[in-house]
Amino acid sequence: MAILFEYFFNGAVLGIMYALVAVGFTLFFGVLDVIKFSHGDVLTLGAFSGLVAFLALQLTGLDLPVIGLVIVLVAACIVTGLVGAAIGQFFVIPMRNSSAFNILLMTLMIGTAIREAIRLFYPTGANPKAFPALLPNSPVEIGGVFLRLDSLILLALGFAIVFLTHWLIRHTKLGLAIRAVAQDGDTAQVMGIPFKQTVLATFALGSMLAGIAGVMHGIYYSEINFGVGLLLGIIGFSAAVLGGLGSIWGAIIGGFAFAALQTIWVVLFPDASGYRDVFAFAAIIVAMTIFPTGIIAERYSERV
Amino acid sequence: MSLLRVGSSVAIIALAVIWTVIVLAAESQWQVLAALVVAAVAIFAFSRMRAGRDLAFTLNDSGPSIIAIIPLAVLVVAFAIHQDHFQLMMLASVLIYGIACVGLTVQFGYAGVINFAGAAFFGIGGYTAAVLGSTGVPSLLTLLAGGLTAAMIGCIIILPVLRTKGHYAALITIAFGLLFRSFLEVNHTLGGPQGLKVEGASIAGRSLLNGIQLGTLEPSFYFNYVLLALAAFTLFFLLARNLEKSWIGLNLDAVREDTIGASVFGINVAAWRIFAFVAGNFLIGVAGALFAMMQNFIAPSNFTFSDSLLMLSIIVLGGIGNLWAVLPAAILVVVLPEKLQGIGEYRIFVFAILVVLVLRFRPAGLFPRSMRQFRREVGQ
Amino acid sequence: MLLKAAVVGVALIASAVGAQAQSKETVKIAFIGPLSGGNSAAGVGGRNSAALAVNLRNDNPSSKYKYELVALDDECKPNVGIQVATRAATDRHIVAGVTHYCSAVAIAAVDVYHRFGMPAVVWGAILPAITYGNDYKEIHRVNGSMLDETAVATDFLTKQGYKKWVIVHDTTDYGNGLLKFFQEKIAKTDGQIIGTFGVGADQQDFSAELLKIKEAKPQIVVFAGLTPLGVRVRSQMERLGVNIQFAGVSGIMSTSYLEALGPTAEATIAFHNGAPAETLPGGKKFVDDYQKAAFKDPAEPYGPYAYVAADLIMSAIEKVGPDRKKVLDVLNATKGYPSIAGPITFDDHRNNSVASTKYVAQDGRWVRWEDSEYASGKRQIKIAKD
Repeated sequence: MAILFEYFFNGAVLGIMYALVAVGFTLFFGVLDVIKFSHGDVLTLGAFSGLVAFLALQLTGLDLPVIGLVIVLVAACIVTGLVGAAIGQFFVIPMRNSSAFNILLMTLMIGTAIREAIRLFYPTGANPKAFPALLPNSPVEIGGVFLRLDSLILLALGFAIVFLTHWLIRHTKLGLAIRAVAQDGDTAQVMGIPFKQTVLATFALGSMLAGIAGVMHGIYYSEINFGVGLLLGIIGFSAAVLGGLGSIWGAIIGGFAFAALQTIWVVLFPDASGYRDVFAFAAIIVAMTIFPTGIIAERYSERV
Repeated sequence: MSLLRVGSSVAIIALAVIWTVIVLAAESQWQVLAALVVAAVAIFAFSRMRAGRDLAFTLNDSGPSIIAIIPLAVLVVAFAIHQDHFQLMMLASVLIYGIACVGLTVQFGYAGVINFAGAAFFGIGGYTAAVLGSTGVPSLLTLLAGGLTAAMIGCIIILPVLRTKGHYAALITIAFGLLFRSFLEVNHTLGGPQGLKVEGASIAGRSLLNGIQLGTLEPSFYFNYVLLALAAFTLFFLLARNLEKSWIGLNLDAVREDTIGASVFGINVAAWRIFAFVAGNFLIGVAGALFAMMQNFIAPSNFTFSDSLLMLSIIVLGGIGNLWAVLPAAILVVVLPEKLQGIGEYRIFVFAILVVLVLRFRPAGLFPRSMRQFRREVGQ
Repeated sequence: MLLKAAVVGVALIASAVGAQAQSKETVKIAFIGPLSGGNSAAGVGGRNSAALAVNLRNDNPSSKYKYELVALDDECKPNVGIQVATRAATDRHIVAGVTHYCSAVAIAAVDVYHRFGMPAVVWGAILPAITYGNDYKEIHRVNGSMLDETAVATDFLTKQGYKKWVIVHDTTDYGNGLLKFFQEKIAKTDGQIIGTFGVGADQQDFSAELLKIKEAKPQIVVFAGLTPLGVRVRSQMERLGVNIQFAGVSGIMSTSYLEALGPTAEATIAFHNGAPAETLPGGKKFVDDYQKAAFKDPAEPYGPYAYVAADLIMSAIEKVGPDRKKVLDVLNATKGYPSIAGPITFDDHRNNSVASTKYVAQDGRWVRWEDSEYASGKRQIKIAKD
């Protein structure tokens, strides 16, 4: 029983990370109807920027556990936000009228370039890097269930970020602008909403979420390597599409659904745990067949 | 007038052949880079000049016999490098990727069916060849079996692909590609991550591993694979081109450009999409089987998502739907990173940036497809 | 023979007029190893070491040729390895190769070297089948095989009191091979393997496997795979509270393992075919030269063997000239060749046996077990008594 809970808990931490990535995909798609596939590698970039910030902090000799985490997160957010906006400004916006497929492929290649750049230009970037334990990692045992305090904090942090994003979209002026552009870019522009700025802000916001997810991933696995972004990006995209592109709640549901699929498989068939991704992706395909536009269907766009 | 047009077209193709030989045989990085610059300038110039349009016109609007250019040009290249194993292997790889990209063109270029799992179907063909290789099935049958298996397994995801559109359809194929790779990694009966050895091809009881002798020439055994791949490529190219020109191609164009309009005119949209998807997967499977036989070895990491992207890069760089662009683009994508290996660790990085730049500044590809023009055919 | 004499003669005259560098014929040697990906630390260390051997040889005025090292990246993937091996083997200018760190790649590529007749000297791959699974005259190995490592590991660990093992192995020929030899060796002791877990080479999350290991309660987790996986398994053991002693083979013995894990790496036991470079017969010189050459990255434990392999090939070329067949004959007949790693002698399958050394991670360094504070009793390795 205790072990079951441990499985469940690990699945939840994975789920919140997937959800953060998926929310980014959903935001980009909302405002510009594009898939920005460099997202996963922006996540890696965020994790590495956080690592650099930590190392710099160490050089100054300051050792403040909570402030350290905040600085690492801020550094990750600044870098990913800027890179995300830059990709939007220089590559995605100028190409928004070409085929969706072209953008998909171009951003995939941008992602490849980012991934390779980390590998080549970060000192010994091809090796797995230790990620600092920024959170207290004392073990917590409740009724025979072994957890670590930092895992609990990460889960809480993830939920806080998701709710913050939701609040931002629902209750601020920026959020209003994002929603307006998502609904109809041209009309929004006519109403005096600065289209380009809004889009860039969305790209920055979505990419920051990836940056945070990257730092969480680093802390959770105590390790970061240049290649983590590829699979996380694809899982995040799957989660976003499963939930229905353009819907924030959909993305969150999609993220947890994906983690749940993996975990359920492992619990049911522990001897075939290697097949968990096979199962998860097969389940995605089946789900998409039943709900061709995602579990929470797109409301505003109609495609044929 | 017409003679001039033919003359300039022949000249361009001759230049392209010479360029290919130089790049394949280049030994230093600078030669490759210089050749690249020359190619970039030439492509830009020809696309602006009349000669370029004349060439496109000649290639597109001539009868099927124009296709003889391909074996002719490839044979010239092959003879020029007939002794060098590695260069011939690259040439054969270009042709094999070319076959797969003809398949992708039928799917995406003609019918508009997105397939991000190209590497998976390529792999299905390859693994079929690996499994059949030891059973003594004739090689040509194995190629056929590779294609059929790919087409059949592809049928599993026909329903999801048909029901979904756009990005959602892209996800189905991406998920399928990952699923396939993941399955190969954990499944031990097919070698797991270690991979499998594959029997080389043999035709009429002769193993292709033994070089043939042509008069005084003693070419490398890869020459045989170039010939086999060339035969397959030419055949499939001819079929695909005739398909494009026929009423089927017309229907596929209609399905791609305007689905609702097509169905209003009584075109069975679903049937044509299924047809294109299955036919395309067949070609990709055949290419995969041939690739496996030539390499003598395959592993799951041959068939990653990045490899699917590589195939798509070929058709996008060339110009989606333009069959003639497949070979030049395949040369660019397959040969270039190999030739730039001297810059070692940086090659993937450089290549990714190159693709991004081309997509950003020439989104229709290097050789955009010229759509059929009915006005000219009815006499303006 | 006459021609060679003429070449030598020309070289002598040229050196007399002081322009010998230009007149020497350039001879190419391939280096193949993982220069990118999670195992690149080992690959780059090997490449640097081989380059060091080449540079030293070129600096030596009495060498007959100018050597050039062509470094190729196999990414530790069998299919990529086949491609670059074909590339090297089909290049007529390349005489021989210092090839492969990853066993999974080497075992796939041996056929290629055989088909094209290129002499290859393995510098880091330890799967026995690479040399013993075939009778290809082209394949040599200077760094010993996993037979040596698993024998020492089984003997040492069981003597330390570890009787209940769990083996986590990657599912390539490398991990499967190690598993097989561990199973064979442990059957002869009073220890037993209570569980084996095959994991994918790219796997990221091991919670399923590790939670099961936690329930099985072994005394030791023996990891049979390479650094990137080893790092993940070890750090996730920590996260999931799997508080069991961890041991591995030479696949995890790299500086990147220590760097990536930090304090978590402490007390990891590893077994390696190489003795510490400083303790090798010519190790002092190697370490000094390597430092002088100012390479950006460390040589890594297998670096000296890449150096030896390159050196061995160049000596053969010096002897008979840049001809693959002749070089092959010289290499095949190697007996007691004096190298920095001790004398190299190839057996009937062209394999050089070496003695394995036991290591333990102590304060961020790999320390020979005998020299460690764990052996002296100052620190304790984890062991659960039943």
